[in-house]
Amino acid sequence: MTVTRRNVLLGATAAAALLPIASRAQASEVVIGIIYPFSGASAQIGVDAQKAFETAAEVINNKYDFDLPLARDAGLPGLGGAKIRLVFADHQADPQKGRAEAERLITQEKVCAIVGTYQSAVAVTVSQICDRYQIPFISADNSSPSLHRRGLKFYFRAAPHDEMFSGAMFDFFDAMKKKGTKIETLSLFHEDTIFGTDSGNAQLKLAADRGYKVLADIKYRANSPSLSAEVQQLKAANADVLMPSSYTTDGILLVKTMAELGYKPNAIVAQDAGFSEKALYDAVGDKLEGVISRGSFSLDLAAKRPMVGKINAMFKEKSGKDLNDFSSRQFMGLIVMADAINRAKSTDGDKIREALVATDMPGESTIMPWKRVKFDETGQNNDADPVLLQYTGGKFVTIFPPQAAVAEAVWPMK
Amino acid sequence: MDTSFAQRRRRDLIIAAVFAVLAALVPLFVKDVYVQNIMVLTLMYAALSQSWNILSGYCGQISLGHALYFGLGAYTTTLLFTKFGVLPWFGMLGGGLISALIAMALGYPCFRLRGHYFVIATIVIAEIALLLFQNWNWAGAALGIDVPVHGDSWLRFQFTRSKLPYFYFALALACVAWLVTWWLEDSKWGYWWRAVKDNPDAAESLGVVVFNSKMGAAAVSAFLTAVGGAFYAQFVSYIDPESVMGFQFSLLMALPAVLGGIGTLWGPVLGAIILIPLTELTRSFIGGSGRGVDLIVYGTLIVLISLARPEGLVGLFSRRRKGAVQ
Amino acid sequence: MTAETIIQSLASGLLMGLLYGLIAVGLALIFGLMDVVNFAHGEFLMIAMYATFFLFAFFAIDPLLAAPLVAAALFVFGALVYLLIVRFAVRAKANAGMVQIFSTFGLAIVMRGLAQFFFTPDYRSVTHSWLGGKTVSIAGIFLPVPQLAGALVSILAFGALYFFINRTDFGRALEATREDAGAVALVGIDKNRVFALGWGLGAALVGLAGAIMAMFFYIYPDVGASFALIAYVTVALGGFGSVFGAFAGGIIVGLVEASTALLLPPSLKSVGIYAVYLLVVFIRPRGLFGSI
Repeated sequence: MTVTRRNVLLGATAAAALLPIASRAQASEVVIGIIYPFSGASAQIGVDAQKAFETAAEVINNKYDFDLPLARDAGLPGLGGAKIRLVFADHQADPQKGRAEAERLITQEKVCAIVGTYQSAVAVTVSQICDRYQIPFISADNSSPSLHRRGLKFYFRAAPHDEMFSGAMFDFFDAMKKKGTKIETLSLFHEDTIFGTDSGNAQLKLAADRGYKVLADIKYRANSPSLSAEVQQLKAANADVLMPSSYTTDGILLVKTMAELGYKPNAIVAQDAGFSEKALYDAVGDKLEGVISRGSFSLDLAAKRPMVGKINAMFKEKSGKDLNDFSSRQFMGLIVMADAINRAKSTDGDKIREALVATDMPGESTIMPWKRVKFDETGQNNDADPVLLQYTGGKFVTIFPPQAAVAEAVWPMK
Repeated sequence: MDTSFAQRRRRDLIIAAVFAVLAALVPLFVKDVYVQNIMVLTLMYAALSQSWNILSGYCGQISLGHALYFGLGAYTTTLLFTKFGVLPWFGMLGGGLISALIAMALGYPCFRLRGHYFVIATIVIAEIALLLFQNWNWAGAALGIDVPVHGDSWLRFQFTRSKLPYFYFALALACVAWLVTWWLEDSKWGYWWRAVKDNPDAAESLGVVVFNSKMGAAAVSAFLTAVGGAFYAQFVSYIDPESVMGFQFSLLMALPAVLGGIGTLWGPVLGAIILIPLTELTRSFIGGSGRGVDLIVYGTLIVLISLARPEGLVGLFSRRRKGAVQ
Repeated sequence: MTAETIIQSLASGLLMGLLYGLIAVGLALIFGLMDVVNFAHGEFLMIAMYATFFLFAFFAIDPLLAAPLVAAALFVFGALVYLLIVRFAVRAKANAGMVQIFSTFGLAIVMRGLAQFFFTPDYRSVTHSWLGGKTVSIAGIFLPVPQLAGALVSILAFGALYFFINRTDFGRALEATREDAGAVALVGIDKNRVFALGWGLGAALVGLAGAIMAMFFYIYPDVGASFALIAYVTVALGGFGSVFGAFAGGIIVGLVEASTALLLPPSLKSVGIYAVYLLVVFIRPRGLFGSI
């Protein structure tokens, strides 16, 4: 075939005509807002969360051979391969600032969905604003049970809340009792912000329902300079199980103070938070052999699902840490949201919401030990089974529920 | 001297009126809700700082515990509304009155304290209140109170998306706080306070009346601060003890006045106009890094301004005027 | 509540109180010298703790050995803060009190930001130290060794400070400068030099406290905030201008905190401290031993 001048011209014109479309398709991106504390007392959470979300975005935007929604395609196939772009905003643990940032992301950055927020108090205002602007919001890691009970239409939570978490702990106690372990009395130890209060209330109620005696119910001030008096009371109560709900700082101080005051409980069953943070185990891990924490994630899942190990490696390269309970939930939060946007084939809030409502993701295609992801009418996923993990030999192993367990619980702890 | 004082006051009033009208027109041109949000906060802090300035600037009783009154206003309004269905307008008034009474009850023993003893007393009183609310189950304790919002309504003072009603309310509050200050400057209280500041011996002879005027200043200041708190609760429609009674609020109320010019009529307004947008913009545009750069910028500015302009930024504008008065 | 619980709580409270005193004494010294309250005091403690941590992490220096090094570093830092910031703040012609509060408060924010920038917001801990995690038990009462060491350092530091202020030439110069800065200039004492040394000394004492604290407390950019208010209340309770007051104030705060936690829900234990402060100043407006 001879190339005539005319053909070249034609080709050039055709290419020129196509070019804007092609580049538009390439440039088209889906913007998702991420609201976390990036400064202030919990800045560390925000910094780690950023890495978790970036890992998720990488998985979505590039091709990976994972059995995870959107991993095998580059970008969102439902939107012509559009890539997702994340916009991070800092709420400094202040509900007012969270609210303002949500509004800014929606109106200025034109995000089509928001994921947040770590602090439950901030989730309250951010989800309110999202509802007003009809932008879907996923609570990646807020565990306050009141959040999904406020009649919001655009609120979704794929992860368990504190009542589910605490329920799992009591299921575990019941199971242990059947095996002949003596578990009759409990000591509750929780901080005084929304997380500890909610957790304490749920545990108190469950203990009454299931016939466990609460010997001490200690609410303490978060970030106290000293916990000696509190620990002294725990020691005096000497219950069969100590159940702390503490953030990292107080968790470190609690464990150190317990050692100093010679208090060694039979078992510690912790409400996550500080007790799934690397910093706590770096500081006092030697005193925590055999501690049990609830969680929604466990690295030993990697044996069954190799992608968990690979995703963990990606995250570790960015952050220098293994995925933990928080970063795994943050990762999944973005995957669930992106999956819905992809199915909605649109960035319209209502359409994404419809897609979220229709979500039915089998547990095997997540990195979590969940049964599946399916939201009820309040936006809560009730099939997100929590797990209990025990810290042995420098790592966590799943001990409960039986279908997820890889080891028997060591009781009492060393 | 008297005539120039009167002249200055008249001129201040005219400038304020012009500013208020100009400010009221701004939202007609600025439609972006994020910017409007910053404007609402700026006006709110201008009003709060103006109220703080009455007690701490003019009267010389430095309070770092005004979060107490702010929180009381927010809680009274919200509790009355969510528990008893009382409209926020009455709640605002009720919160203001309760705060004024408490301010007087606290002022009675506290005004005997001097300097840092007084400052620390105000801090710890606010902290005690914070801890009590944090543990008060009926008032939501740490969980806070989520104000149910059912569409736009002036009656319930709730608006889902529009910032304009909040903007105009905050503007009105800032104007009221300014006018109260303006009026106080020329009242006998204002004269006593100046006399006490210029000449501590005068304080002895004026003892009782000055004490009473301080109680009055505390009540007025607390009332206005509580109305601001009630406004905040409506604006954010969620309150919890940390976010309305925390120490940071006490500081945020004091900072604009200090930077703008403590004990001056225009200081709080000027301070708020500079400080609040700065705080919001540094957080929004450099805070997402997680590296604390926003804190470094913000803190450096506070150090530099307070060292370079101890009389406040208002000094930049008033050199000529000072010459005229003296 | 058993007798053992009460005795244990009070013993812990006493140890903690001595430590509060040590944290607060630098503040008291600086205030006594020049009527300036350093609102960045908590952040001084924070960098002292970081300094101890890094000496431990990079050079494996035990906090006990690090203490003098940290104190020396903080001495330089404190003197620099005086020379670069506070010197100008006290010179302010208008609103001197406010300028001092807010220039040191701004400094506190900058220090937190810098700590976050350079050290990241991660929580750090000194994991192994000679004394860390050790505890002695006497008749069922447990006394943690790091806090015992802290109590001992606190008592020694107060003793040394008392001797220093009352028995040495420099202490007399400090005292004289405090009384009348103008007059001392006539006898050839450089006011700025005295004040800078005073700030250095105050900061060095916080440095000691930070090194001890690092043995049993976690470290992160906002850690100072937990101790700052307690330090101010401690100094004010004891009375501004009295170094001994800070010592007594610390012990009282520690004991009150421990006993409040026995009587009220522990989340309210600070209420006890604050209530005692208010009670004291309402009766004695200058604190227990205050002169100003």
